[in-house]
Amino acid sequence: MLETLQLDGKAAVVTGAGRGLGKAMSKALAQAGADLVCAARTAKQVEGTAGEIREAGGKAIAVPTDVTDSAQVNALVAACVAEYGKIDIMVANAGIGDPVGPFEFWEYPDDAFDKTLAVNLKGTFYSGRAATKAMVEQGEGGVLINVASGTALRGNQNFAYPTAKGGVISLTKSEATMLWRHNIRANVIVPGFVSQAPPASSEEAEIRKNRGLFVPVGRLGEWWELGPLAVFLASDASRYVTGESFIIDGGGLAGGVGPVNFAPEHELDG
Amino acid sequence: MSTNIEHFELSGRKAMVIGVENPAGAAIARAYAEAGADVALCVLKADDAVMTAKRIQKEIEAQGSQSGVYVMDVTLGRNVQVTTRQVAKELGGLDIVASCPDLFLGKPIGKTTDAELLQVMTHNFNSQFYVARSAAGELAKNEAGGNLILVSHILGERGTRNTAAYGAAHAATQSLVRSLAQELGASQISVNGISLGWMDWMDDRIDPDVEDAGRAVRFSIMKRAGEAEEVGPMAVWLSGSAVGYVSGQVFTIDGGLLQHL
Repeated sequence: MLETLQLDGKAAVVTGAGRGLGKAMSKALAQAGADLVCAARTAKQVEGTAGEIREAGGKAIAVPTDVTDSAQVNALVAACVAEYGKIDIMVANAGIGDPVGPFEFWEYPDDAFDKTLAVNLKGTFYSGRAATKAMVEQGEGGVLINVASGTALRGNQNFAYPTAKGGVISLTKSEATMLWRHNIRANVIVPGFVSQAPPASSEEAEIRKNRGLFVPVGRLGEWWELGPLAVFLASDASRYVTGESFIIDGGGLAGGVGPVNFAPEHELDG
Repeated sequence: MSTNIEHFELSGRKAMVIGVENPAGAAIARAYAEAGADVALCVLKADDAVMTAKRIQKEIEAQGSQSGVYVMDVTLGRNVQVTTRQVAKELGGLDIVASCPDLFLGKPIGKTTDAELLQVMTHNFNSQFYVARSAAGELAKNEAGGNLILVSHILGERGTRNTAAYGAAHAATQSLVRSLAQELGASQISVNGISLGWMDWMDDRIDPDVEDAGRAVRFSIMKRAGEAEEVGPMAVWLSGSAVGYVSGQVFTIDGGLLQHL
């Protein structure tokens, strides 16, 4: 059974791979045997991720990419095909939070909304479109993994990012619906409160510890915990799974009717 | 073409409300009567609840609608069936059935006994199953079908500690809404649910003396508990021609509790 998780010989593109969850997922896919194309806006960071994978004995190249530019995304997929002869896996992870704010709802500016949707939603669409075009031409199917956010499932003060991520969840279902004939699966990872990297200071560690108290399991998630989920979804271990949302949030979204440890006590009446 | 307010008019329709000792049930019964329906008032026990129901009966009759008080043991399917038939006979038919039995247990799973689990399931879920089964039989006799409304609680959708048994029972009721909408749709019976949040009468789970309970209430977007009168209008919407093409859905009345992070 465990051999179905092997990604040996698979070519994977990860956007937003310069740091945080994208970097963690890139390394996990490489550990499972995939050959990586790491993409992000910042060349230095994405070179760093690719370098770490190569140092660990894997194959990886870095392709600086702005996912809001569809030509660059098409070139990213082309770079993967040029390097490895194909593309099997696209992890559309690049994202940004609301760039400004908070504002009163009626004051929210056009450009901030446009930019948030451009990176989080259009970038995910461009990534899926470019990857699936190549996958269909190859004729051997493939896997799309999108990354949304638990904030998409609930109302928030900073709403542009959650709105875009809600679009990503919907997009994933349509991708699954439209692409199954081509043996392409699409699923979406929905992280809750997940730390992007180890704490930089003891103060930060303390802040995280306190924030973790608001999560049912009593801690924030950690970047590397996205890795096994990405490997599962990228591999044949999930071959009948498509269109599904995978919430990884320490149980938070299953609750949310009051304080985390709210525990009403009451004997049966009568 | 008339399209609006008159769809909320229930004149000439025969309604049965189960659990009128529950403020939600009382509010639904009053709202039905105000909309013009004849309303049978079912209480779950032959205790003070009967007096409550008789007061509501007087109010309804004063408005010119027909009413009656019935004691129904919702834990016994046969009893539910017999009472439902009796109501239909005495009202001269049955078009609308709304049901809100509610028995809360707040206990860690390790301390919840088999007997308590059984009681919680029976009172909160089996009861709704029995009501739905009997209602389906009566409503299917109408060419125009009818409306079934099962009242539930948000703990059937989301968890918190100590609510394993109660939440499971209400989740089962919400599932029942979805299944029966499929099964009874062809008979023109709409089946919908109302899922209540933290309501102001729910001292059993929102104990005013417990600090966390206050926080839970303020956790809703509207920062307050719900009131019984806020349940009636939705029940009326779900019970007349206003409901239209809506079936199989569970709607929350929770001040936005489930909708924000």
